[in-house]
Amino acid sequence: MTNSVRTHLNSAICLRFALTFLGGSLVLGETSANPKLQPASGAKERVHWAFQPLRRPSVPATAPAAAAQERMGKSTELERRPVNPIDAFVLASQAAKQLAPNSRATRRELVRRAAYDLTGLPPTLEEVAAFEADTDPQAWEKLIERLLSSPRYGEKWGRHWLDLVRFAESNSYERDGAKPHAWRYRDYVIRSFNADKPYDRFVREQLAGDELVAPSVQEEADGLIATGYYRLGIWDDEPADRELARYDALDDLVMTTGQVFLGLTIDCARCHNHKIDPVPQRDYYRLLAFFNNINHYRNGGATDESPIFSNAAEKASYLNLVREIEGKRRAMESVVAEAEARFQRSLSGSLGTNQLEGKEFEKRWEKEARAVVGDAVFEQHREARRVLPTLKVESIPVAKALVVSEPGPAVRETFLLARGNPGAPGEKVAPGFPTVLNPPEVTIPSTSPNNGKTTGLRSLLAAWIASDGNPMAARVMANRLWQYHFGRGLVRSANNFGLQGDLPTHPELLDWLACEFMASGWSVKAMHRLIMHSETYRMSSGGREGPLKADPANDWLWRFDMRRLTAEEVRDTILTVADSLNLKMFGPGIYVDIPAEVLAGQSQPGNGWGSSPASEQARRSVYIHAKRSLVTPILETFDMAETDRSTPVRFTTVQPTQALGALNGDFLNRNASLLSGRIRSEVGNSPQKCVERALHLATARKPAHDEVERGVQFLFGLRDQERLSMEDALTRFCLLVLNLNELMHLD
Amino acid sequence: MNRSSSNSGNQGNAGSGGFCGRTRREFLWEAGAGFTGLALTGLLSSGRLFGGGLHASPSPIAPGAFKNPHAAKPPHMGGKASNVIFLFMYGGPSQVDTFDYKPKLYSLDGKTIAVKTFGRGGKRNESRVVGPKWQFKQYGQSGKWVSDLFPHLSTCVDDIAFLHSMTADSPIHGSAMLQMNTGRILSGSPCLGSWVNYGLGSVNENLPGFVVMLDPTGGPISGAKNWSSGYMPASYQATVMRSAGEPILNLKRPEGMSETAQRRMLDTLRGFNEDHLRTRSDNSQLAARIASYELAFSMQRHAPEAVDFSQESEATRRMYGMNDKRTEDFGKRCLLARRLVERGVRFVQLYAGGAHNDSNWDAHDDLVKNHNYHAGRTDQPIAALLKDLKQRGLLDSTLVVWGGEFGRQPTAEYATGTGRDHNSYGFTMWMAGGGIKGGVSVGETDELGSAAVVDPFHVRNIHATVLTQMGIHPNELSYFYGGLDQKLVGVEGAEPIHQAL
Repeated sequence: MTNSVRTHLNSAICLRFALTFLGGSLVLGETSANPKLQPASGAKERVHWAFQPLRRPSVPATAPAAAAQERMGKSTELERRPVNPIDAFVLASQAAKQLAPNSRATRRELVRRAAYDLTGLPPTLEEVAAFEADTDPQAWEKLIERLLSSPRYGEKWGRHWLDLVRFAESNSYERDGAKPHAWRYRDYVIRSFNADKPYDRFVREQLAGDELVAPSVQEEADGLIATGYYRLGIWDDEPADRELARYDALDDLVMTTGQVFLGLTIDCARCHNHKIDPVPQRDYYRLLAFFNNINHYRNGGATDESPIFSNAAEKASYLNLVREIEGKRRAMESVVAEAEARFQRSLSGSLGTNQLEGKEFEKRWEKEARAVVGDAVFEQHREARRVLPTLKVESIPVAKALVVSEPGPAVRETFLLARGNPGAPGEKVAPGFPTVLNPPEVTIPSTSPNNGKTTGLRSLLAAWIASDGNPMAARVMANRLWQYHFGRGLVRSANNFGLQGDLPTHPELLDWLACEFMASGWSVKAMHRLIMHSETYRMSSGGREGPLKADPANDWLWRFDMRRLTAEEVRDTILTVADSLNLKMFGPGIYVDIPAEVLAGQSQPGNGWGSSPASEQARRSVYIHAKRSLVTPILETFDMAETDRSTPVRFTTVQPTQALGALNGDFLNRNASLLSGRIRSEVGNSPQKCVERALHLATARKPAHDEVERGVQFLFGLRDQERLSMEDALTRFCLLVLNLNELMHLD
Repeated sequence: MNRSSSNSGNQGNAGSGGFCGRTRREFLWEAGAGFTGLALTGLLSSGRLFGGGLHASPSPIAPGAFKNPHAAKPPHMGGKASNVIFLFMYGGPSQVDTFDYKPKLYSLDGKTIAVKTFGRGGKRNESRVVGPKWQFKQYGQSGKWVSDLFPHLSTCVDDIAFLHSMTADSPIHGSAMLQMNTGRILSGSPCLGSWVNYGLGSVNENLPGFVVMLDPTGGPISGAKNWSSGYMPASYQATVMRSAGEPILNLKRPEGMSETAQRRMLDTLRGFNEDHLRTRSDNSQLAARIASYELAFSMQRHAPEAVDFSQESEATRRMYGMNDKRTEDFGKRCLLARRLVERGVRFVQLYAGGAHNDSNWDAHDDLVKNHNYHAGRTDQPIAALLKDLKQRGLLDSTLVVWGGEFGRQPTAEYATGTGRDHNSYGFTMWMAGGGIKGGVSVGETDELGSAAVVDPFHVRNIHATVLTQMGIHPNELSYFYGGLDQKLVGVEGAEPIHQAL
């Protein structure tokens, strides 16, 4: 069976399964009638929904909208208002299944949901109370605006992006050495989300920030820092095969760029045509060609690091210093050259035309030169030689960023590699976009965009990826935004929109969101508003018998899905409840205490891990130094992203190691003590008040009488049966409270 | 049978086979929410957690309501082995000084000859031969030649299949370690132990299914990457266990917390959590999390029991060399490995050697000193392990694997001295038990012992052999990730080493 036949069959099987799964109810977008679509492999792959051009679907009308109006009418606090189009799409899909949506969640549930979704932190009790009491019809919208403008927002949403781009600050392998200045990329991402940087700009900066025209020094710095994107992956400093290692690094870029920006697993076509998707092997190498000029990573030095500036004056003074140093160096070099030339000329009589070199020259110079060139010149020469090694541009103290670089404007030839083998180059290929997306031809400009520093190819790729003409960028990102709000995407396989990925549960809604995203000027915050203002987002998470039976996976969004806190949210919440969270932003990564038993797993225990003061250790998890082979245990057990490759969706595991750490580990016990101290200072020593306060802080809910009673009995039990002081008993209760399912989960 | 599951981010639909008749997606979004590190939901479904003497109050958790992805699963086919003990000779032992007898090499000692080598020092075409530094004798009915480094292990040769023609893709520790453990030289893939647990699940609810025991000098280079679950959930990564002190991280209750106080706390916690669950009873993750606390409590009791050597006879302890400073550490770990296997732990990996240079088998300078030291620490314990497993009837079901990430060159690395550089062109590993044929030698290197020339095998074949003996078809065990059905043995597949079966 030939490859193409096999591919064809697999896809057919795949498609059939997909259709069967969705009850055969889904219409697969456009048909092959589109004359522009010349099948690369089979026509069936080409009609796959994700490869179709993006068209704005019309919002379903009347009946579902009326239902929504009716539903909202029941809610006493609400006025009648136009239905959010998201609800119209969702209700339309439910009507076909005869499912009815849940009613609204409570205000307490909503404020907690919104605070975690947008900032990754619990709301304060005051914020909860204020929102519960706010009678303004715009209370919800006001809440969302407040959360969107919080600096905490970028720390939460930046972390989503860091998962996608395999962000880590070390290289893995034997030394797992630290990457220089990688933390600046993390800060750049946080700042970009906080500033609501348009997504198309955000994409262009990461793929080609060094080639973009920057209107200001700050934007120029951002553009450089952003290209750290290329340098975040794993790197073996001692590869068995250097050429293969270079192609492995390029594969990392094709894989990450394909999956993150395009939702395509183009990397599956490295050795042969993609087995499932219509991606020929040639397309892999055509995409690779955009990256083939990149200087291979060396973990620092001129090809990986670049000076950056926070303002024009700083840049000007740096450039002055550079000119000064270069001027001095040229002067010193000419002093040396002239003196030595004079000496050589004087020797040339006895030596013929041969010039002395190296040690022989040095010896003769020391012995005879003073007499030939004179005292003054000899001394000048000596001084110049002494000073020259210090005249280095690299030694100017200046902030630097981890960046991509290319050797110059010349385009390196790219060849298709048979079976992915660098030793077997085949046909030469030119840079090109994936043909299945019906892209424009690539025209390589005759001049380099940045004074000949690079080829300019990456900015061509970036411009096409972040354009209206590419159906994937907006679709893939709109789906991610949905996923991070609802716990899963409309397409669940968020990095794979291909034939083996999942079909969208709501294809029209997805395309509508993608169109809205572009229409908003690629504003991520506008999408948050759009999504969070919907009734679909505001539904309760409660289970109802009928829908649970008919749609247990909640494909049709009849309720909001509960979720566990993410690893960072777990840790940051514990710090918040214990009132020890330090909200300092940005800067080099922090080092939290890691138990010696864990460090013992390193070949040099403690190597590459520093020690930060206690207050620094209490900063948000996103600032913990991201070392690939040494992950902070509490983050690892609660399913922090694996950093060697892009992580589009995190796992949510339940493991006894989580419980062991939460019961016996230092971090939890330390914060339980802090919480206990906080409570006693706030409410005194009354057992009732302490228990009530602890439960209230952990759950943002005033506990019921019997819950307080249960806690009080626990305190008395420890006092009477275990002979603990009430203080120690309260600390135990605080530990218990930090372990509550209600604290760890959102409704 | 295609045991496909999925990463939540990349799962496909049922394109290449369902999981237990369900699509990947259903598997993930329903049961997947309850991915469990150990068989904790098994506790729930068996009803033992809340039915027994620990608690009297009725639970809102319905027994049988949980599907546990970590519960024991039937193998693809009849497997001989149910457990694996991988004795990782980190650093790379020299084949020509241990089990690969090259009589002609002695007389070449000191002579510079043409031989293609590739080590950390790069590629060379000629080098000075370092003759084998130990004498070889024949042992057992099979007449296997073994060097004097292994006076104890040599008495076990009739139970061992020696694999003399191993090859790997890299002669550099970092990438070669990753390949031996995960099949790939690139960082980020799951380990053999992860795959075995993914394929077969766990039969012991109180202990992890994948355990790693490190050398007291430190972990191997790249540390935790060597027992990572890569793109699989973290619940498939190894748990590091220690034979002394606190056997598992965070197993010990904090200062001032008695067992009864903790029990009281857990009961009260459960009260709150069950109230919370009452109106959310369709969320299996909440129930799984409640169960995980009971399992943690139970692990605190059972894990120390597993490392309690006082239950072993004096004779057993002596057999493992626990009375001798030199063999005490590795002896303890070998004995613990047997005790873990007895308790159902699927995959146990022991590192002989840790940290850097001569703290492991990486004999770049003084070969004699290095190998005497490392063989001396491990020979008796390993022989004891094989004999002990055999006398208890466990060897048939326990596959023991011995080897490093590569071997060493027959030639010298430096102008003087006996140090040998790395060699991935040819090296020796061995297997015993778990249905492996004893007393056989498979494959050959050239007469210098420098490269595999007869029946060369790759690390993939070792992995395929382990999976096959466990009853898992190596070319069918797959995990959907990144748009591909990923396999331990690679997309091209690999055959087990049939001559050893």
